[in-house]
Amino acid sequence: MTQAVVASSTLVGVDAIAVEVQIDVSAGLPAFTIVGLGDAAVLEARDRVRAAMRACGYEFPNARVTVNLAPAPVRKHGTGFDLPIALGILAATGQIPRSATDAVAVGELALDGGVRPVPGLLAHAIAADRTGRPFLLATDALPAVSAVAGISARPLDALSALRQGLPQPATGPPPARTPGRGGPDLAEVHGQPAAKRALEIAAAGGLGVLFVGPPGAGKTMLARRLPGILPPLTAQEAIESAVVHSVAGLDVEALLAGERPFRAPHHTASTAGLVGGGSPPRPGEASLAHNGVLFLDEAPEFSPAALQALRQPLEDGYLTLVRAEGRVRYPARFALVAAMNPCPCGFLGDLARPCTCPPAMVERYRARIGGPLMDRIDMTLRVDRIDPGCLLRDLPDECSQPVRERVTAARVQARERDGDRAANGGAALLRACALDAGSRRAVERAAHVHRLSGRGVTRLLRVARTIADLAGEERVREQHVLEASCYRAFS
Amino acid sequence: MTGDLRFVLRLGDPGYPAQLELTPRPPRVLYGFGDPSALRPGLAVIGSRKATPYGLDCAAFFARCAAESGVVVVSGAAMGCDLAAHRATLEAGGTTVAVLGCGADVDYPARARDTLALLRAGRGAVVSEFEWGMPPARGHFPARNRIIAGLASAVLVVEAALPSGTFSTADHALDAGRDVLAVPGSVFFHGSAGCNRLIRQGAAPVCCVEDLLDSLAGVGLLGSAARTGGVDPAGVSPLSPESADPVLRALLAHPMAPDALATALETDAVTVMQAIARLETGGRVARYPDGRYGPCAPR
Repeated sequence: MTQAVVASSTLVGVDAIAVEVQIDVSAGLPAFTIVGLGDAAVLEARDRVRAAMRACGYEFPNARVTVNLAPAPVRKHGTGFDLPIALGILAATGQIPRSATDAVAVGELALDGGVRPVPGLLAHAIAADRTGRPFLLATDALPAVSAVAGISARPLDALSALRQGLPQPATGPPPARTPGRGGPDLAEVHGQPAAKRALEIAAAGGLGVLFVGPPGAGKTMLARRLPGILPPLTAQEAIESAVVHSVAGLDVEALLAGERPFRAPHHTASTAGLVGGGSPPRPGEASLAHNGVLFLDEAPEFSPAALQALRQPLEDGYLTLVRAEGRVRYPARFALVAAMNPCPCGFLGDLARPCTCPPAMVERYRARIGGPLMDRIDMTLRVDRIDPGCLLRDLPDECSQPVRERVTAARVQARERDGDRAANGGAALLRACALDAGSRRAVERAAHVHRLSGRGVTRLLRVARTIADLAGEERVREQHVLEASCYRAFS
Repeated sequence: MTGDLRFVLRLGDPGYPAQLELTPRPPRVLYGFGDPSALRPGLAVIGSRKATPYGLDCAAFFARCAAESGVVVVSGAAMGCDLAAHRATLEAGGTTVAVLGCGADVDYPARARDTLALLRAGRGAVVSEFEWGMPPARGHFPARNRIIAGLASAVLVVEAALPSGTFSTADHALDAGRDVLAVPGSVFFHGSAGCNRLIRQGAAPVCCVEDLLDSLAGVGLLGSAARTGGVDPAGVSPLSPESADPVLRALLAHPMAPDALATALETDAVTVMQAIARLETGGRVARYPDGRYGPCAPR
């Protein structure tokens, strides 16, 4: 009777938790069983492992092979156990050196013995890094995990290469950090100075924006350019976001290069699609937008349940899914941009085309963006189609680059003043604003004339504080409050 | 049902409004709720449901003028200009009549519930040619418009698109031989096209208090005593004093969005937004529901 143990891991949410793959090869009727709550993909490993071993010239033991995935009560998903199972059987039967089992192994096997990457490799790599052991993975996935500092990655092309023991450590080319590459540039939007200004303020203050305007006004174009004027992802943020994308099986190269994610779910998205769910649970759009921008186009058309589900991430920056098999937590801290038509037909307030909607219908339509979402919208702006003449005239429009620099400077100033916890409301916000006599009067007048609620005043101050930061001012002045009052919600 | 002020007037009854009886198609039965004496000849103030602040302010302003001169204000209790006229009249202590396209005891639109309750309690009257409890229906409203025109001696249209229900009320008014008055609007705004068309067709333009009082006197709603009694309804004129501020001048003449205004004045959007916000808190301009900024009554 021979045994072997190989370390591996399985995903729970965006974390990989350690799993011990225990192999027992003993005499008896030839059989191959896997126990330990694996899903169908885990059980199919038996056929892939058998074929891959034979294809690489190894011998599959003509004996009773039992695989246990410990801890046994945790559900395990996916094809990442192929590699550790094969590794364990090979080590237990003495076909490869025992030292090969020192690594944490995660990978799927092809029938020809090739090793393929699995979703969430970045999360597995981080878990492996925590154990301090080398990480055995598919060569294809090497560039993505190179971003994990200090990891000892052992790339493996095929099972046959294990005859000499673990492969040598290798590092892929570190992802090039070239912020702003590829993403659409602000200069491509002609005109719309007020909307661009609102985007700049939103970027500087991390504020939610709602664009209201007829179809074809450029709401989506504007929203797509928000990631490009945000400062690039820090290394830490890039890893956080990339892990989520990796778990969802998406490309992480752009994220690791510092580009902020931009997610624009369609308004037919289900609640699970928006905030995550399913079995096994997968991160939703809100989590994929972590550290980036979540754009809700046609916001009133989203199902009320889906919008309601955004409440937790909007307030806490993460969301928790509670399912029969346990709780998983996904990060979801994003900048919110929403867009909507002014009315169901879209032409309310259009000078060229009259609106055909009855007033009561317009009100119902607007009321569909309910509480939790509106609470996180700090700025509302009307966006209109621009004059075609303006499109054809080749006026110089500002590029993203200088805007990004101003946004970064404003963020630095806010951070120096407020520290890590941004002053979002209450006494801290008032202190941060340091109103003078003129600006205090302006706030009072605006609150009176526009009948602002307490929350409305807080929003006004938050926007004014950000405008002052963009201007490099220590105190919020009257003109900052005046401009901020132009971005108040439509009542 | 005791304690409430319901009344039913049949064509030919002594209390049936005489001016209504003389219209081409007077309603055979008039169901009323409130004070029947409110059904004396008055001024109809009507306008769009999708009103701009300009239209709402005009409705409220001229309704107040009429109320303070003791003239009954008739309207249709619809959202927008109609409700603004009813409310301004009540605030000024005047009498106002709402003509509904449903039973006179039905709260429609729901937004008008408070106002209708005041009228039913005797601050005016709610009338309808439809049975008690009849729900509103699309076809009822044109019929309702003819009663509004019939109860009034003159019809003031404050803001109307083309074509629109408001415009049809003006047609009924002409059929019934009533004077039609209209408040002019921007020539660039389709929401004002109805009013401007009425003026072109011969309606009397109403641009200030004097214009309205002249017209009211012309149809016999204002005794000469009241005229010479120095009636100065609100003490203000909707005309804004001359201003040198280019932003204010531009917006008063033609409502615009900040972007368009910045282009027109060849300056940057942020400066324009600050100027607009200053004027807005000063009560000189207001934001329209479509995001443009334009004139409103001085507050």
